[in-house]
Amino acid sequence: MSAGAYSNDDNALAGEYVLGVLPADMRRQVEQRLAVDADFAALVGSWQSDLSALDDAYTPETPPRGIKARIEAQLFAGAPGANQPAGGLWASLAFWRGLTAAAIATSLGLAAFTFIVNERAVDPAGAPALVAELGAPGSSVGLVAALDPASGALQVTPAAFSPEDARALELWLVPGEGAPVSLGLVPGDGGQLVLDESVSSRLSAGALLAVSIEPEGGSPTGAPTGPVVLSGALTEN
Amino acid sequence: MSEQTLQGLIGKTALGDRAAFASLYDETSAKLFGVCLRILKDRAQAEDAMQEVYVRIWRRAGSFRAGQASAMAWLVTIARNQSIDMIRSRQPASIEFDDAPDVADEAPDPEAQAALSAEGRRIDACLKELDADRAAAVVGAYVEGSSYQELADRNGVPLNTMRTWLRRSLIKLRECLNR
Repeated sequence: MSAGAYSNDDNALAGEYVLGVLPADMRRQVEQRLAVDADFAALVGSWQSDLSALDDAYTPETPPRGIKARIEAQLFAGAPGANQPAGGLWASLAFWRGLTAAAIATSLGLAAFTFIVNERAVDPAGAPALVAELGAPGSSVGLVAALDPASGALQVTPAAFSPEDARALELWLVPGEGAPVSLGLVPGDGGQLVLDESVSSRLSAGALLAVSIEPEGGSPTGAPTGPVVLSGALTEN
Repeated sequence: MSEQTLQGLIGKTALGDRAAFASLYDETSAKLFGVCLRILKDRAQAEDAMQEVYVRIWRRAGSFRAGQASAMAWLVTIARNQSIDMIRSRQPASIEFDDAPDVADEAPDPEAQAALSAEGRRIDACLKELDADRAAAVVGAYVEGSSYQELADRNGVPLNTMRTWLRRSLIKLRECLNR
């Protein structure tokens, strides 16, 4: 994407943000825009890349020893298992709290993600219906997952993007505690994922759904191994 | 420490590998402490900033994309943003800027363009197209994390004039960088 296609105003604003000259309120406004405007985020990325050549001006200085211990205490105290490959990051509440828009800019060119959880009318059987729309800037909606409470099937609309060759999109339930549970590979042209009752019964309020990029055929380990590209919480009607 | 090694450490950190995170800290903390010190100009605050910087690195490691930025540039960006947010939080949260039209300065003359060195970094060559004081303002703002008020005071011009200068310089710089 060429940065040349943007207005002078956007070019200057992106540059001002990367330089850091803006007051706090304008910095927050720019960051809010970064979360929803992939083109603008790319422009900021261009400035960061170009200006990073000036980083040579920062002279390294060894920090006091205690800092590393403080960081590790803050991150890992009371979080046993946080160093397990893959599982640690996913199980970490801090990670999900920190999963800001900017944090999941992906190789798919998504600069950010947004999700909307829709309330759907309660179905005739009276069971709660759960619908999650996972969207991304630049495309209207990334993926919609709707649980049919009668059949326990998860209806998945076509994802609005495709993974690279030999890659698959895998849908996960991320429970409040414990390891993520695979719900299956996202069908390329949409369709139903039929869930075991043991799994569908866990799709309840507060649970997060997430989509990660995995090798063809899905995660080889049973746990997410690739970057998270979409995420959204479920709520009960 | 090679770029590839740093990328590998960030990737493992994204997967929750504490040993890789510890190595990443050992390899990069001096550079990032240098960033925090330069911007915050206060040792105790720079130490506080470092703690938040590495917490952010741990949490955001999964968002690093090789190819979009070098690993060190990505890390420095996190340290700069944290440090700048800390100093801005102690300054007035908002400034009323006048709305001024963003008109680029006149195009650089052909001779100046021809003088651009084909060698060296693009940003250096493009900064040379700006007047020396404007280029110094851009570099100073980036490296020191200066606010508009500080830049205006340093250059002895009103705040809005400073903003107009800097924005014009940025537009000109972007035109050059895109050439």
